[in-house]
Amino acid sequence: MRRRLLLSLGGAASAAAILRNGTARAQAQNWPDRPVKLLLPYAPGGATDLMGRPWAEKLSQAFGQQFVIENRGGAGGMIGTEAAAKSPPDGYTLFFAPGATLTTLPILRKTPYDPIKSFTPIARMGDLVCGFVINPAAGPKTLHETIAYAKQNPGKLAFGSAGLGTSSQMRIEMLKFRAKVDILHVPYRGSADALNDLLPNTVQMMNEINVLPHVKAGKLILLNINYPTRHPEFPDVATLTELGLPDSDVPVWFSLLAPAGTPMAIVEKLNAKAREIAASDDMKARMRAINVVIPLQSPEQIAQHLVADIAATGNLIRDANIKLE
Amino acid sequence: MELSDLFANLSLGFSVALSPGNVFWCLTGALVGTAIGVLPGVGPVATMALLLPTTYYLPPEGALIMLAGIYYGAQYGGSTTAILINLPGESSSVVTVLDGYQMAKQGRAGAALAISAIGSFFAGCVATIVIAVAAPPLTLVAQKFAPADYCSLMVLGLVFAIVLARGSILKAFGMVFLGMLLGLVGTDVNTGNLRYSFGISDLFDGIGFVPLVMGLFGMAEIMANMTSTERRDLVTAKVTGLMPTREDLKTSAMPILRGTVLGGFLGILPGGGAVLASFSAYTLEKKLAKDPSRFGHGAIEGVAGPEAANNAAAQTSFIPMLTLGIPSNAVMAMMIGGMMIHGIVPGPQVMQERPGLFWGMIASMWVGNLMLIVLNLPMIGLWVRMLMVPYRLLSVAILFFCCIGVYSLNNSANEVLFIAAFGLLGYLFFKLDCEPAPLLLGFILGPLLEVYMRRAMLLSRGDAMVFLERPLSLSFLVLAGLLLAIVLLPNIRKAREVAFVE
Repeated sequence: MRRRLLLSLGGAASAAAILRNGTARAQAQNWPDRPVKLLLPYAPGGATDLMGRPWAEKLSQAFGQQFVIENRGGAGGMIGTEAAAKSPPDGYTLFFAPGATLTTLPILRKTPYDPIKSFTPIARMGDLVCGFVINPAAGPKTLHETIAYAKQNPGKLAFGSAGLGTSSQMRIEMLKFRAKVDILHVPYRGSADALNDLLPNTVQMMNEINVLPHVKAGKLILLNINYPTRHPEFPDVATLTELGLPDSDVPVWFSLLAPAGTPMAIVEKLNAKAREIAASDDMKARMRAINVVIPLQSPEQIAQHLVADIAATGNLIRDANIKLE
Repeated sequence: MELSDLFANLSLGFSVALSPGNVFWCLTGALVGTAIGVLPGVGPVATMALLLPTTYYLPPEGALIMLAGIYYGAQYGGSTTAILINLPGESSSVVTVLDGYQMAKQGRAGAALAISAIGSFFAGCVATIVIAVAAPPLTLVAQKFAPADYCSLMVLGLVFAIVLARGSILKAFGMVFLGMLLGLVGTDVNTGNLRYSFGISDLFDGIGFVPLVMGLFGMAEIMANMTSTERRDLVTAKVTGLMPTREDLKTSAMPILRGTVLGGFLGILPGGGAVLASFSAYTLEKKLAKDPSRFGHGAIEGVAGPEAANNAAAQTSFIPMLTLGIPSNAVMAMMIGGMMIHGIVPGPQVMQERPGLFWGMIASMWVGNLMLIVLNLPMIGLWVRMLMVPYRLLSVAILFFCCIGVYSLNNSANEVLFIAAFGLLGYLFFKLDCEPAPLLLGFILGPLLEVYMRRAMLLSRGDAMVFLERPLSLSFLVLAGLLLAIVLLPNIRKAREVAFVE
């Protein structure tokens, strides 16, 4: 009796599975027929949020359904990333992923998600274009002068980052490692705090986009650009590669991910639209205003980029001996 | 700046602020702000976060005027719950609880609410003028503060916190230290270590201020009321006049003035500016009072000074945001987000590139403050009547709003549970006659003290002399030492006398 019950239960389960697959396929075809949640692992008003808003608007227009941003900040992005990883893979919860939550956090901390296994990449959302700045009162006026100064005065220059494990820390560690210089790293609670100490020359250097208005106002000097191409607003400032330090950029990049297991039909639909949006002049102009450029990539290219960046970050963290716990 | 420039700028500002659309957004912001200020647990940060995406569809001036209105509206509203139900809605109204609630218990809730609105209005007007006239030079003053100076300022602040207590100094010490310990929970900024988080991800960023306050004040107060035999309804039976008397106004005039000056200055400093402002104003009034023993038992100066100070500070905290694009607190970070959404890059050039926006916002602060006082004075009768709601119903409503408010912050159910835990702790404190206000101040200032101290030491490359070498830092430390001596000496003398008698 019990066996028969088990058997019939098993049969029902497999029938349900078939049914579910069927409906999943149908769902992918009709997707989206209700609003889509866009999880963002930081608070509203920050750089990531500002990038997410135009995307949410454009995707809503493209698909005729609202793409609603839900900010789930906290624990350096870990809480929001975990929530995204544990969401149902039905295409109605997507994840606006900052690179660091996938590359740096899982190496430095025990994260309740796996950056590769927990997600399916969809589209590249954009990269921040920024570089090292220095307060003119510090003395050096170019990157080479800064490196020479730091070599003569080890530990005298101080660099303010947005916090431990953030990309700006990774950038200074990379510079220290590649140029073999000693610059003091001072972690702050966010880039605004750091800027507050950079302006009066309490710390001398930073690498965050919130300093760029002060560069324009002539209060700070932009030494270089940590990106393969120059910043359109600062065409005279050379890239790190041009200045003789190749492969030292430490990219700050954002992508759209879905919980692993999301139907490929949805992923491909989204990728096609996202590339269309990214290529439009309106989107380019809006992203340029917030110092962002968007490389056009396929899901496979993003997956490869992710694996490569995790490996590069891992090497940097090991070489520079960065630890959190 | 030339005086004629100032008038030209201000008239530009008022032409923007008084356009019908912007008056509407200002009123909307002020109303929403007052409402969320009154609701326990729902703060301006959560509200602005909620409304930020909608500002996408407004003109930038309207959007920022509305967001600013929410902020200072919440400052007005936050004191309402502090006075009526012993629940500070905002960190800056923690000290308003001390005498405001006592006044309410004596049937003078109306006077307390009115004086807090009047004090806030006066401070708001003065601070608006200060921003218009002296924003850039004040920015430079704030930049004179290095981490070592902030650290010493926090030391001074913590000494203030001890002076706040009405009872035993030893207990106040204990509560300040306990607060500092609670403030240590979370991720260590300098090493990334997780402290006392027990693997709960809601604790990685530390214990939230809101659940702590809701528990220690809201929940504990309800439990205490339920166990006490004194009928809570009696409070309402003896409500005397709704408006302050002439005598009240006279006593409050100087505290309001002093609070405005103190708050206006501390507001320009990042971090704990507004909080430091309200309780340094309280300490100042208590020290200057002829009869300090009235404080903590319903002294109107204890409401007037801090309320003026926190509103002045709320307003001047706009200065670094407007002139440099640096947010001095979470609310200002939201304002910056509001600008960026409209493609306005906050920074030194906003003043030149968008004069209409810059001066319009400043003018709207005055307009908003005027609206708030017009809104709030007539509402006092309504609020006081809220006390007549039977306590068995009111208490449930308070709990309900506390839970919703806390949940709305991070969508975290754990944080709602924290309220319960802190409620029990608060009840224990109540039974032991320990005051929670010094604990909260320790909780806010302790982590700031730690961060600034370690940053100062890091930047001085490990040389502790930095705290004594910088004149600003040294003067704060000397002041703190003096204050501590004044507080402790009478006790030591008393102890000696007791010993002598024995």
